[in-house]
Amino acid sequence: MISLIINGKEIDLDTPMSVLDAARQAGIKIPTLCHHEVLKPYGGCRLCVVEVERMPKLQNACQLMAADGMVITTESEEISEVRRSILEFLLINHPLDCPYCDKAGECELQDLVNMYGPTVGRYKEEKRKVPGSHKDVILARNMERCVVCTRCVRMCRDIQGASAISMVGRGNRTKMAPFSAESFNCEYCGNCLTVCPVGAILSRLYMHSFRPWQIDEEVDTICSYCGVGCSLSVQMRDDSIKRVVPKIGAGLNRGLLCARGRFGYEYMASSDRLTVPLVKNNGKHEESTWSEAIHIVAERLAEIKSRDGGSAIGGIASARCSNEDNYIFQKFIRMACGSNNIDSLSRIGFAAAQKYFEDLLGQGITANIIDGLKNSEVIFVLGGDPTAINPVLGLSIREAAMNGSKIFTLGYARGLDRFTALQIDVPVFKEADLLEELVVSVFTAKGVRGEKLDVDNGIRIISEKLSGYYDVNGFNEMKNSLLGSSSVSIVFGPDLVQRTDGHRSIFAVAGLTYLLEARLYLLSERPNEQGLIDMGCVPDMLPGGRPVDIHDFRSKFDLLWNGTVPAEDGLTLLEMMESMKRNEIKALYIMGDNPVFNLPDRPLVTEALEALDFLVVQDLYLSETAEMADVVFPATGWTETSGTYTNLERRIQLQKKAVHVTAGMDDWKIISDLSCKMGYHMSYSDAEDIMNEIAEVSPLYRDLSYREISRGNCLWPYHGEPLRGKINELPSIAESEDTYEADFYLAPDKPLFHSGTLSRMSPSLNRISPEPALKMSDEAADKLGLGEGDRVTFSTSLGSGEARVSIDYAIRDNKVLFSNNFRDNGVYGLLNYKMDRITKAPGIEGCEVSIKKMQEH
Amino acid sequence: MLNETALQEIQELKIRYPERESALLPALYIAQREFGWLSNEALLHVANVLNLPEAKVRGTASFYSMFKDKPAGRNIVQLCTNISCMIAGSDGLVNFLQTRYGMKPDETTPDGRFSLILMECIGACGTAPAMLVNTDFHENLTEQNIGEILETYK
Ligand code: SF4
Ligand code: SF4
Ligand code: SF4
Ligand code: FES
Ligand code: FES
Repeated sequence: MISLIINGKEIDLDTPMSVLDAARQAGIKIPTLCHHEVLKPYGGCRLCVVEVERMPKLQNACQLMAADGMVITTESEEISEVRRSILEFLLINHPLDCPYCDKAGECELQDLVNMYGPTVGRYKEEKRKVPGSHKDVILARNMERCVVCTRCVRMCRDIQGASAISMVGRGNRTKMAPFSAESFNCEYCGNCLTVCPVGAILSRLYMHSFRPWQIDEEVDTICSYCGVGCSLSVQMRDDSIKRVVPKIGAGLNRGLLCARGRFGYEYMASSDRLTVPLVKNNGKHEESTWSEAIHIVAERLAEIKSRDGGSAIGGIASARCSNEDNYIFQKFIRMACGSNNIDSLSRIGFAAAQKYFEDLLGQGITANIIDGLKNSEVIFVLGGDPTAINPVLGLSIREAAMNGSKIFTLGYARGLDRFTALQIDVPVFKEADLLEELVVSVFTAKGVRGEKLDVDNGIRIISEKLSGYYDVNGFNEMKNSLLGSSSVSIVFGPDLVQRTDGHRSIFAVAGLTYLLEARLYLLSERPNEQGLIDMGCVPDMLPGGRPVDIHDFRSKFDLLWNGTVPAEDGLTLLEMMESMKRNEIKALYIMGDNPVFNLPDRPLVTEALEALDFLVVQDLYLSETAEMADVVFPATGWTETSGTYTNLERRIQLQKKAVHVTAGMDDWKIISDLSCKMGYHMSYSDAEDIMNEIAEVSPLYRDLSYREISRGNCLWPYHGEPLRGKINELPSIAESEDTYEADFYLAPDKPLFHSGTLSRMSPSLNRISPEPALKMSDEAADKLGLGEGDRVTFSTSLGSGEARVSIDYAIRDNKVLFSNNFRDNGVYGLLNYKMDRITKAPGIEGCEVSIKKMQEH
Repeated sequence: MLNETALQEIQELKIRYPERESALLPALYIAQREFGWLSNEALLHVANVLNLPEAKVRGTASFYSMFKDKPAGRNIVQLCTNISCMIAGSDGLVNFLQTRYGMKPDETTPDGRFSLILMECIGACGTAPAMLVNTDFHENLTEQNIGEILETYK
């Protein structure tokens, strides 16, 4: 215990900390400028000086560690004098253009001068001029205002790990600059903007459009883009969103955001938003009313149900929608339509992997706290770039690396490039071979663990065929690191799920997780992939992960839901597509997704949807899929509706309504109205009402309430009872026979600046990244005679696309990557697939592509 | 592009230190030796070879006056204008250099003969004003002797 006295107040500390933190903890304010609570102490400005008894000079409170017996004074005439002088020096070059500066009102320099003076400056010479520092699309850099605190540079280097900016020059002429000296060309997280104390880094999104004190409402909510679920605040004026700001210290992201979360909010106000229900007449959409459109849908679905049975109806739920929406959706498909054919687009990645991992290792195996990554000695990253798919999770991996953890990557992970101990290269699409050898080698060293007999058995079967050695550079180094560490984390991304033999990789990774007692993280591209599974938007599970085919569970729900839950497992997503083609499923209801664009093999998906008798879509805008629908309902999104989301750690968080809605209706509300029309009664006053029902019926969410959720620490396993897994089928151990000898293969790219199909309606994200790029290795570009920025057409057997070439040194094989975010120009539609027979995910590997340079006019 | 020998030298530097960062200054020297000055391309090149962030390389290079961020003349005149030299009359020398030789701070004369850089203290306060021409040291400068000195550099 450390006891010290600050301003006459006795303070006892349990843990060592700086004098500054000790004072703050006791409610004593010490002014700072270069210090920021998310950054390490720097000691650059000396505004935090304090008097310490028996120390000859004033000391920096931010750097001085509190010691037992210290007697400290934080305000005195001498201290004020020093602070005033420092501020006077800073003001020598500061333009004092406060009336014109967006920061005025929340500027730390302004506040400090207000507190300590000086009231007049004595400097009579010219102020420093820094011309031409305003050229970026997002960040406005005004280096005349810079006070050279270096907070931005330290944020970018030490926390974001991007090191995109630095202090350039010396002495009086020092300024912050990105490499290009003009445009930032960086990760655009905006975290430097968060920490800049003055108006030297500002956002162009709202330049000169309001003053900070004019914000009349602020709502704390979560980001709508990915499965991390970062906390953020939406600030509004006159019911329109002015900006999104992070809350330092709040939420699992502790005040950090990525480009999408911070600058991607404008899509909500897009003019492309749907405003009225549409009904197709003679092949054309016509505007309709809510009551008419609901009436038509109720009638048609009832008709198909009575003619062909419930199983002729299918539902696609959405990982963009809340738990409440998804709960109501599956209840509607099961009880009102009488079908278990419920799945989501998550089946092509997260849901497929999650299910097989849980079958093998038990419910909750992927429920690990993101923060825990920092404390891992070894992190094995495979199947995707975490810094692009789940950027804020990626930061924890970078942080671990900076603190000395070893990072191994298998496959493309550009954002970890400078942080990786070793990138393992295997022949294209042969990752499963390596992973199986790896699990066998670990098994050989560690022996049977003996907790999950099926998994032990599976590993043993594989190990009888394999040697436990794989001939690639670094295999042994990685194996030894994994074996030598007591805290291993595995971060598993979607790329390896989208393989015909994806189950082999998943099994091997499950084996590693099990043998090494590792923490397993599943990357999640959409905000509620875990939640929709928990809500029962899967064909084989009821809410709470209870198998449909077990009679006892079903009959419990029969009682609670007042009806009969269909007994047979439904079809998974791709199976539904097949079934539609065969004309068995005749009606499809899609909530908030866009399978025409987001699923592989667009011709097949289009054919399947065309074969339907009836297609309903509810969404925010007229997507490629909504264009085909018989009826389209305009839904509400992100800031317009409240609900809960379950992130990839399985933390349940509250998304709060912030603005008034003029057009769409909440997804759950559309469905419950429709359900009533179809004779299955549903009546809920709001989303909270639905959560109360969920807490009653789902054994996982028992006793959960909005009150508890809003405290922000609602973590797995809540108060519930997880179920032990059941293994459906062990993987075959046959190596995939396929050989890959084409020159180039097309594969999906998961960029940082776009996500799903909503980000393309955000003008700012489009300014950062206006068009999709075809990414390829240096070598591939050489072979094709292409250079950076060249325009090319590329085609597969299913179609073609156009793009500019972007050479990416982190690609080390003959894959070329293309994103799936821009309208009618996405990768998935061009990829044919074979379904993985166990995970039911599409195997999209081995899709040959030819690339041709276009003549520029 | 750096030639093979220069690349080889940098690679060897990399192994010499526990951190890649430590090799940055010597690597920049090599690049400047090869190119004469540090263009953006040269900085990028060093960043790639050392696998260090570009911005960091630029920031580091910009801190030291011995790294040139533009092509320099045949002779580099580094004149101190810090406190002691200023009191001893360095401002007058700056004017003199401009009228007599057309030398402007941070610029190169059109004939490529001189580049002028104004320095912070170069540690010769006792014999101020002082300057460095290339690597030669000159002190107790006056308008008289500075002209004579510069005449020896062609
Ligand atoms: S926006 Fe992010 S990546 Fe870009 S300079 Fe600022 S902190 Fe660095
Ligand atoms: S730009 Fe802002 S944060 Fe960066 S050094 Fe200048 S004042 Fe500090
Ligand atoms: S990491 Fe994900 S949740 Fe966080 S701000 Fe970025 S997109 Fe949003
Ligand atoms: S805040 Fe302590 S020195 Fe800047
Ligand atoms: S001030 Fe010129 S040498 Fe010190």
